[in-house]
Amino acid sequence: MRYVKLPAENFSTFFETLKQLGKIYGPVKHNSTYTFIQVDNVKELSLDYTRTILPPKKFFVKPRDELFKLKREKWEEVKDGESFVLFGVHSCDIHGLKILDKVYLRDPPDPYYKSRRENAFIVGISCMPDEYCFCKSLGTDFAMDGFDLFLHKLPDGWLVRVGSVKGHEVVWENQELFEEVTEEDLRHFKEFEEKRAKAFKRSLNKEGLADILDLAFNSQVWKKYAEKCLGCGNCTLVCPTCRCYEVCDNWIRAYEVVRERRYDSCFMPTHGLVAGGHNFRPTRLDRFRHRYYCKSYFDPSAGFNCVGCGRCDEFCPAKIEHVRVLEEVREELL
Amino acid sequence: MNPYQSYDAKIIEIRELTSREKLFTLRFTDREVEESFTFKPGQFVVVDLRGYGEFPISLCSPPTRKPIQLCIRRTGRLTRFIHKFSEGESIGIRGPYGNGFPLEKMEGANLILVAGGLGMAPLRSVLWYAIDTGKFEKIYLFYGTKSYEDILFRDEIIYLLKHGEKLNCHVKLAYEVETPSCIYLEKGFSEKVCKGVVTDLFRGEEFDVNNSYALICGPPVMYKFVIRELLDRGLSPGRIYMTLERRMKCGIGKCGHCVVGTSVSMKYICKDGPVFTYWDALSTRGLI
Repeated sequence: MRYVKLPAENFSTFFETLKQLGKIYGPVKHNSTYTFIQVDNVKELSLDYTRTILPPKKFFVKPRDELFKLKREKWEEVKDGESFVLFGVHSCDIHGLKILDKVYLRDPPDPYYKSRRENAFIVGISCMPDEYCFCKSLGTDFAMDGFDLFLHKLPDGWLVRVGSVKGHEVVWENQELFEEVTEEDLRHFKEFEEKRAKAFKRSLNKEGLADILDLAFNSQVWKKYAEKCLGCGNCTLVCPTCRCYEVCDNWIRAYEVVRERRYDSCFMPTHGLVAGGHNFRPTRLDRFRHRYYCKSYFDPSAGFNCVGCGRCDEFCPAKIEHVRVLEEVREELL
Repeated sequence: MNPYQSYDAKIIEIRELTSREKLFTLRFTDREVEESFTFKPGQFVVVDLRGYGEFPISLCSPPTRKPIQLCIRRTGRLTRFIHKFSEGESIGIRGPYGNGFPLEKMEGANLILVAGGLGMAPLRSVLWYAIDTGKFEKIYLFYGTKSYEDILFRDEIIYLLKHGEKLNCHVKLAYEVETPSCIYLEKGFSEKVCKGVVTDLFRGEEFDVNNSYALICGPPVMYKFVIRELLDRGLSPGRIYMTLERRMKCGIGKCGHCVVGTSVSMKYICKDGPVFTYWDALSTRGLI
């Protein structure tokens, strides 16, 4: 990997040059929370943010996503080929996108997702964990790939890791903004990473987790939490790896239809309902447990379907904690 | 090519099978698509009612015969709508999806088809494929239905009850509700038609378990009983195939509605199935 340094005084010029790649979306403070929206000025950014409500998946798998338009009884594909920059993405969210890639890019690839992935320029940023983060225990606290540039905070600027050809091109074309990395910078980088590793308050024991959960299918813990759960589906909407969608045809005027897909949630009673009224997950217990099984699915080549971003905990109105549920299931079984 | 884009298909014939089910015969408008469209028994397509939505449905004609046919029960919003279509109108079709039955592997063996209600639709594809190709030892069809009026493909079933043995095909029928027509049928084929459930049809039947495959399709409640019956007779779980239903939306393993299983094994019914063996059911929770 190539490492360069971006001095603090060049940061806003660097931000301006990225505009050549398309619209820039970055984390902006919105009351007490953060959200990824379009940013024109570097001052609008909140680079020390904890987490946004919706993860960057909203740019690739959109909450409402137009697929086709029906015109003269023929479907026309809706295309959005615009390039854009996602500025300031945390490592866990980069890993979240990699998990989505596994689903959406495997054969046959989803053309909408694929084109958006190709059109996106991703700038990662280092972060400090808060009380909800448990990415370290899942190995998603550091991204080795899945970004174009990754910025690590230094006392006098940023250490930049270059992760792709597109990233190389940006650095190459704006050489005057960057400097070589010094020994001192590397020391600061190391210090920051060490401080960060110690800052985690929450951790998940993933030792044998997939098997333990499989054995604990009838655990009372599922029942206890399913009774507490409100079934609102918040955790699935804010999850960077949840991807269930529903498709519907909407008439927008007398002779025009839009086929769109929108987020669906396995917490909704209709999720497992089939024609004729049979429901494969009729109770909240079934649905609650299913989400935990889906998130803790272990793929030997890629790990778990959870990146430990802490969104499901922070935005759960019933204050159910993901790690706690899994730990209790483990305790009851062992 | 966008995998969500459907091909235009014309309804060339509609046949009323029962008061709830209609058989749609379809031909793709594009000649190249019509000629190149191939599938395996057990696979399904997604029907696109442009402006109203999509729904998955299994192919019920055999791949050895063209054009393709779909047996659709009027049960929800979209199926109610397609039942109002008339011959000559167009719909969209995309697919085929899913794995289908591995019939090449079963060549030379006995096929035991066990159908319950609408489960007859995908198994009809296997039935006629097996009869048309003649590559199988003997074909058994055990079909459980609610009443005489609910027998799908009644003319074909009665034909096979009469002449099946000539085609190497042994058909038996069980019905639950007694009506005069059933009694008439039972009198005509006393050995083959009885009042009861589908598992009752196994009584008195002998088959070589080392050279047979069972293919099951029916309502969720049926699987447990049929599988127990087959296992009791000594059929290996690897020889028991079943085709399952879930709320499949995309057909290509993206939308997440048909995911089953737990943290160690998760499966997409649309992509990894809808045909599974009993081994899969033993290792994947929630499959049946």
